[in-house]
Order: sequence, then C-alpha cells, then structure tokens
Amino acid sequence: MKRSAIKREVDLQILGDWVSEGARVLDLGCGRGIFLEYLRQNKRTYGVGVDNQIEKVSGCVKRGVSVYQGDIEQALRQFPDGFFDWVLCSRTLQELSRPQDIIRESLRVGKRFAVGFVNHGYWRNRLHLLWHGRRIINEVFPEGWGESRRLNPIAVGDFEDFCAREGLTITRRAYLRGDWHTPCKLFPGLFAGYVLYEVSR
Amino acid sequence: MNDAEVAPVLEEGEVGLVEYHDFVSEEPFAFEEGGELPGFTLRYETYGKLNAARDNAIFIFHALSGDHHCAGVYSLQDAKPGWWNNMIGPGKPIDTSKYFVLCSNCLGGCQGSTGPSSINPATGRRFGLSFPQVSVRDMVRAQSRLLDHLGIETLHCAIGGSMGGMQALQWAIEYPDRVRSLIAMATTSRQSAQAIAFNEVGRCAIVQDPGWHEGDYEPGQGPNLGLAVARMMAHITYLSDEGLDRKFGRVRRRERESAGAGGYFDVEFEVESYLRYQGKSFVNRFDANSYLYISKALDRFDLGQGGPIEEVVDKMQARALVVGFTSDWLFPPRQNREIVHAMIRAGKNASYAEIDMDLGHDSFLVRAPALYELVSGFLAADEHLPRAHA
Repeated sequence: MKRSAIKREVDLQILGDWVSEGARVLDLGCGRGIFLEYLRQNKRTYGVGVDNQIEKVSGCVKRGVSVYQGDIEQALRQFPDGFFDWVLCSRTLQELSRPQDIIRESLRVGKRFAVGFVNHGYWRNRLHLLWHGRRIINEVFPEGWGESRRLNPIAVGDFEDFCAREGLTITRRAYLRGDWHTPCKLFPGLFAGYVLYEVSR
Repeated sequence: MNDAEVAPVLEEGEVGLVEYHDFVSEEPFAFEEGGELPGFTLRYETYGKLNAARDNAIFIFHALSGDHHCAGVYSLQDAKPGWWNNMIGPGKPIDTSKYFVLCSNCLGGCQGSTGPSSINPATGRRFGLSFPQVSVRDMVRAQSRLLDHLGIETLHCAIGGSMGGMQALQWAIEYPDRVRSLIAMATTSRQSAQAIAFNEVGRCAIVQDPGWHEGDYEPGQGPNLGLAVARMMAHITYLSDEGLDRKFGRVRRRERESAGAGGYFDVEFEVESYLRYQGKSFVNRFDANSYLYISKALDRFDLGQGGPIEEVVDKMQARALVVGFTSDWLFPPRQNREIVHAMIRAGKNASYAEIDMDLGHDSFLVRAPALYELVSGFLAADEHLPRAHA
C-alpha cells in the first residue's frame, strides 16, 4: 500500500475498530463522509458528520451519509447530554480554535471522544525546526506559511497534559511511528508520527 | 419568484412540450380548520415515465405564487418554460429519464385547482370568502388523493422550496410510509414574526383596495392595485440587497432633470420599473383572494403544531436533505438548520447544507452548480440506506 493510502486509512482502521457495533457516532470535520460510510457498512452505526465546506457536505450527501454543514461548536450545542456513544475527531484537532472547549463539549454530548492527530513533537519536526529554523513543510502539511490555513499544531505532551488537568481518562491509545503504521513503543512524544486516543470522563 | 430562465426548450435534455391535466376528486374534503367541499380539482403536470414498480415518482411542490407548470413549454410560442425548467429534465438534477416527476397547483390556488375564485357548485357563484380556510396540511392531504388516483403508493422523493419545502416536510410527517426521501430548501418549520409581518403588509394592501369588496369581485375587476403592491413588496423579500444591486444598481430609466409622464414620482430608477412590471404581470396571473388564503396558510403553518418539532419529525421515515441559502433573509439559514437539528435529535437520517449565494430567498430557483450536485447526489444515494436509527 502506498504511504499516502496508509495515512488515509489509519483512522478508519484504528478508530473504526474502537467504535462498537450499532453505536451513535458524531464525526467532527467529517470531510466527504468516507469514515462514516465505512462505519455504517462495517459497524452499522448511526452516524452524523459535521463539516463547514459545501464540497465536503455534497460528498457526504452523495454517499447517503447524514451531514450537518456548519460550525463544529454550534453543531455540538444542539445535542443533549450523552446523545452520542462516540464523538470522533479525525485529523481535525489541529484546525480548531480553543480545542479544549470543543473536547469538553464533545464529552458532554458523547460518552467517549476519539481523536487521531499528527504529533507535532515528532523528532523530524524538532530537527527540522532546529536545523532550518523555519516552518515545517511535509506530506501532511504541504502548504507553506503564505498559503496555509490557520493551524493549531498539537503534540503528544500537550494532549496528555490536557487530559490529566481535566481529569479525563485515556481509555485507549495508539502510538504509531513515522510511517503511521508500525507501533511506537518508546518515547512516543519523540518517536510517534501519528497518535490516536480515546478519552472519557 | 424570479423570472424563469429562458432556455432552449426543445433541445435534447429538455422536457419539451407538455400539457396539464385536471384531477377531480368527488369525495367530500374536510378542511383542518373546519369547512368542507363536496370535492375539488387539482391541476397537475407530469414528466418522465412511471416505472413498472411505480416507485420512481418525485413530487414537486411550488411556492406561494407558483403553479403546477414547473418544466417544459405548452407551445413553441411560449416565451418562458416552467418555473424550475433548469432543475427538471432529462439529464438534469431531477432527471426525467430516471424519475416520474409530478407537480400540482395547490388547493386554494388559482391556476386551475379549486380555490376562492372557483365556482361554488352549491350557489353557482364564486366562493370568495366563503372558501374554507386552507392550511399547508390541507394542500398535502389533497395531493395525497392525486397520488392515489395515479396509483402511486410511495414517493421516491418529495421536493420543494419555500412553501414547497413546508409541503415536502408535511408530507413526510402526514404520510410517513409514503415518502422515502425529501428535499426542502429555503424553508421553515414555522414562520418568524418578520415573515408574518411581510405577509400582513401584502394582505393589508389587498383588503384596503376598494376593488376587493370583501372578496366578492369578478375576474380582472378585483383589487388589482392592492395585489400589485403586495407582489412588489413580497418580491423584494425574495431577493437580496446584493442581488438587487448587481441587477439594477442605481441605473436610471430617465434623466434626473426630465420628468416622466407621471411627473416627479414617475418611474425613475430601473429597479422601480422592474418592480412595477412584476406587480402588473402578477395581477394578470394571480387571484387576490388566493393570495390572501395562501399567505395566511403560510403564517399559520407550524410543523410542530405548537410543540417542539422533534415530536412530529419522530414519525418521519424519509431521509431528508434541507438546504439553506446564506443570503435568504425571508427564511434565513438558521430556520432551515433548526429543522435538521430536530431531525438528528430524533435519530433520523437528515442532512443540512448551506449554499453561499447572494440572490436571496429565490436562490433555489436559479442555476447553481452546488445545488445541482446536492440534489442529484441525494436522489441517487443508495436507496437501501437505513432511514432511522432503531
């Protein structure tokens, strides 16, 4: 499998495995609905996606995936406590402003919050910054500073500190090496390229 | 509604020549708010073919001032095709080579269906104000008889914008097992004070016109001025500041110094001329009493019947797509979103999409690739999808 394909599938496989049969799932930043379609087909879930771009929303509609076009925070506010079994956030966390508010709200409407993100503290990133002293441009963040969207990069330490401070329990985790495939056993803050967590209150 | 787009009507990919039909129901019909008719007529059109399983029907619902003629032309001399000709046709988003498309003039209307301008068989005179108060639900219940008559058990989709969106929603609630999916655009589950306010101005203009005579007038002799003013005002609410500015700006019909035939207050700006034309041409095709009745039906429409809409949408089995338009200030995006919030809270398969267009409420009627993609994508999405979570 090509590297880019592995990267696309990692959330499907790991987060998809965590979600249980027939669960109610909310996917924040659902894109074209591929993940929710996969969950419906493989886990018979009731899924709803949230995305703010019409092209993405259109992709969901075509797949028969329920989607809500709009702002994530505003969407979360519409649901009663514990409405969803899982709130998923696959490669979206680094684009959120005040992500702590969104995680708190996700754990109000959902019983569990499952997230996958690129570890900004990965050793290559550290080396890049040390060596070049410039913003990182790679496969995952291909845009240069000038054309980039707003980013709020996150590292393993940031997320785990946040969970500890908030008293959240990390119920499952997966650290993957730079290939986003091989499990990372040592110093994930340094050697993990991609990480996934499931947290609950 | 906006002027329908002028399109080449006999080319491939067009519905082409069409004709209307009249469905006459001879069973008594009891109105929601009281009153009864011994029967009624609905004028309708169909495009495309009903398949052998009779399960490819799409019901289109028109807006306040619309009618059953939503695609094609009646003759080659027709200047304009039906009001949604850009959306409906072979290969178009609502594809008549796949679907059997049907649209009827609503009960209470004046384009061939029974309404206040029809003759009351009991008296031999026009109903006028003796016509029962008609509701959106009454319109839907009348349409269900048409569907029975055509031998169609379930709709592949119920589609409409504005008042048509209300009907699509009402259909899915009134007849949950007859609607497999619905698309509602630029609509609301209950009108806001602002929308009611606009309708009230229109009604005031009509009833204060001396030609109205408590609704008792002959065709053409009615409150033409009042109806024209109502239409002019309503038409503004269907557009937007940006849309009007782009179309007319401050372009003048006459020089600042020159006085028109009507003096200082005669038409000066292009937009004035446009609105006056809209008002005048509306009078030729619409009945003032129908306008009063239908606008009142809109004001009273409440999908939730006074309660939260979750409770009623819970009955729904259809999967739903609701589309809001950013510049719609009559039924703004928020009101469209709220419908989907309620559906999702009720565990339904429902989506909300928002299209960024600057043409106001009438955005759903114009050529818009983003809307086309949503509609065709939604209609084609796997029909075997689960409709709701158990």
